[in-house]
Amino acid sequence: MGSRALLLVKEVSSSLLPKNQFLPNFNSHRKFAQVLHRRRSFSAATTAGSPPLEALDVPRLAETARISLTPQEVEEFAPKIGQVMEWFGQLQAVDLESVEPSIRADTEGDNFRADVPETFENRNAIIAAIPNYEEPYIKVPKVLNKE
Amino acid sequence: MASTVFRSFQTHPFVFHPTTLLRRKNVLLYCTMRSQQTQTATQEKVKPQVKVSNLNPNKKLENISKDYEAVIGIETHVQLSTQTKAFCSCPYNYGSQPNTSICPICMGLPGALPILNFKVIESAVKVGLALNCKLAMNSKFDRKQYFYADLPKGYQISQFDVPIATGGYIDLDIPVEFGGGHRKFGITRVHMEEDAGKLMHSDDGSYSQESTFRFVDLNRAGVPLLEIVSEPDMRNGIEAAEYAAEIQRVVRYLGVSNGNMQEGSLRCDVNVSIRPIGQLQFGTKVEIKNLNAFSAVSRAIDYEISRQVLLHSQGQDKEIVQETRLWDEGAQKTVTMRKKEGLSDYRYFPEPDLPGVFLTQDYVDGIHNSLPELPEMKRRRYEKMGLSMQDILFLANDMNVAEFFDTTIKKGADAKLAANWIMSDFAAYMKNEELSINEVKLSPQELAELIAFIKDGTISGKIGKQILFELLAKGGTVKGLIEEKDLVQIVDPAEIEKMVEKVLSENPKQLDQYRGGKTKLQGYFAGQIMKLSKGKANPGLLNKILLEKLNAKS
Repeated sequence: MGSRALLLVKEVSSSLLPKNQFLPNFNSHRKFAQVLHRRRSFSAATTAGSPPLEALDVPRLAETARISLTPQEVEEFAPKIGQVMEWFGQLQAVDLESVEPSIRADTEGDNFRADVPETFENRNAIIAAIPNYEEPYIKVPKVLNKE
Repeated sequence: MASTVFRSFQTHPFVFHPTTLLRRKNVLLYCTMRSQQTQTATQEKVKPQVKVSNLNPNKKLENISKDYEAVIGIETHVQLSTQTKAFCSCPYNYGSQPNTSICPICMGLPGALPILNFKVIESAVKVGLALNCKLAMNSKFDRKQYFYADLPKGYQISQFDVPIATGGYIDLDIPVEFGGGHRKFGITRVHMEEDAGKLMHSDDGSYSQESTFRFVDLNRAGVPLLEIVSEPDMRNGIEAAEYAAEIQRVVRYLGVSNGNMQEGSLRCDVNVSIRPIGQLQFGTKVEIKNLNAFSAVSRAIDYEISRQVLLHSQGQDKEIVQETRLWDEGAQKTVTMRKKEGLSDYRYFPEPDLPGVFLTQDYVDGIHNSLPELPEMKRRRYEKMGLSMQDILFLANDMNVAEFFDTTIKKGADAKLAANWIMSDFAAYMKNEELSINEVKLSPQELAELIAFIKDGTISGKIGKQILFELLAKGGTVKGLIEEKDLVQIVDPAEIEKMVEKVLSENPKQLDQYRGGKTKLQGYFAGQIMKLSKGKANPGLLNKILLEKLNAKS
């Protein structure tokens, strides 16, 4: 797995060389979405010399993602997440001194939209799916800012 | 840091009642701004009195202040006036029925994918160039994660480590009444991001602490913003307010935003710290939000500086903590909103749903060549025309006023005269009637005409004024009005002489008094003759002939 990731980094940096043109290309939304789904690839570290990865703290990670975990789950997930982090740790070790930072792994998709308004037809379905709606507002519990 | 910015603002635009907003919209900016700044200026002078009385009456504060230096940086959020949101085609109109302009993309529904509105890039490039920044030819969007009800996706699409523009500056001129002078403030970066929705405390926008619910309007979620971050180059409230005002002028000149602070289209968060003069290390930074007007920017900063200086000088500098404070317009002070507990962890990463943003030199050059004349260029051009700084700032403040002025002088009017006309009765009329310069019926062509008729002596300045008001209110042409109302100035000496003689013969008593030494009565006679001529007598000729007649038989 580590070597695969390494390969990816190389590909990314070489694909950066021919710079893409800024040409507004107004693909239809659906088409673009499909393209993106197929092409969704993992974007590698964008900056050279990233700081070393933090030590894994599963409870804190769960908290930042607003996920509640039982102590058993914390124990169960820790080694799995740790493994993923280790793979990234290997990436950190790659010498990128002579490599131009990659902005995005995906450099082909300059897709833009013209500034033409279009009203979404099925608003009622969206509203109907809102758990607590009080015309015309979405009602949410008062929460104190956590940050 | 920026995410917190949105939250506080969502709750506050509702302090203003919508009708006040509409009314204010029509008032020319410089009118409101000037008056606000006058207040600020007054407050500056009575600094210790006004501000410190809230804390602790201390007349020594002004002296103490001299030992400290304030360091101020500003984050400005500019809402772009695009037709649609940043990543979906939902139209955005300020004041629409809540939750009407929504779709799966801006609602963050599963599977929905964003597509960038190219107008957002165009606006960002315009602003980047106008602020003399270096553009990143390759940049990207990132996800900034935080949880709040105004942000349906659970992350904001923003730009993190590669903003579209960096390292620029902005030039401005401080108004004469605040000491004048030219300033150059650094721009750290400009980046593109999406706005969050609006979170309200209750239906009517009032604050009710008891309610356990909040109401969300997601019309604004996904609306494009530019965040402009300044270098910490400002040293007092006036400089900060002028910086914000110049940003507003720039985005309005560029046409990328309406820049209305009351609508939240231009929001400023300021960071203020103080340090003893000579100290290199910055003091603890306090962030102030809820600044809905330039006057609030200025006053909140000056209040905050005083508060920090006072604490520091009393050895209580530990009381200055890294926190977010709100400006309380009613109490004219800043109050703690929340203390910062450690740095927020936004876990930025590149937005996988969007491709990178790649600019070509041709594209950038094209935009560069199409930029309008910006406020700073206008001011320097007006300066070369010999206008005073007061005139320059007035004219260049509003793009439409500047355009009116430019067209007037293009039609041949003298610059100084045109500036005088626009700044005096004309401006007063617009202010009283709450009209913008584009709404008045007078055209630049006619103003130029009016000035020319006064200059060549066809009409007197006084008649010119009458005609001006007539034209402002009803339109028409100067020529037409002069003919219609028979307003041509009387320059025939014989005709004026007749009128002089008539007035002198009707006022024998005053004539005797004049000849008895009460020469001040000349003004009285002149007034009577002018009245008789219905304001049309040439004042120079009138006075000349009058004097001759008065002194003839003595």
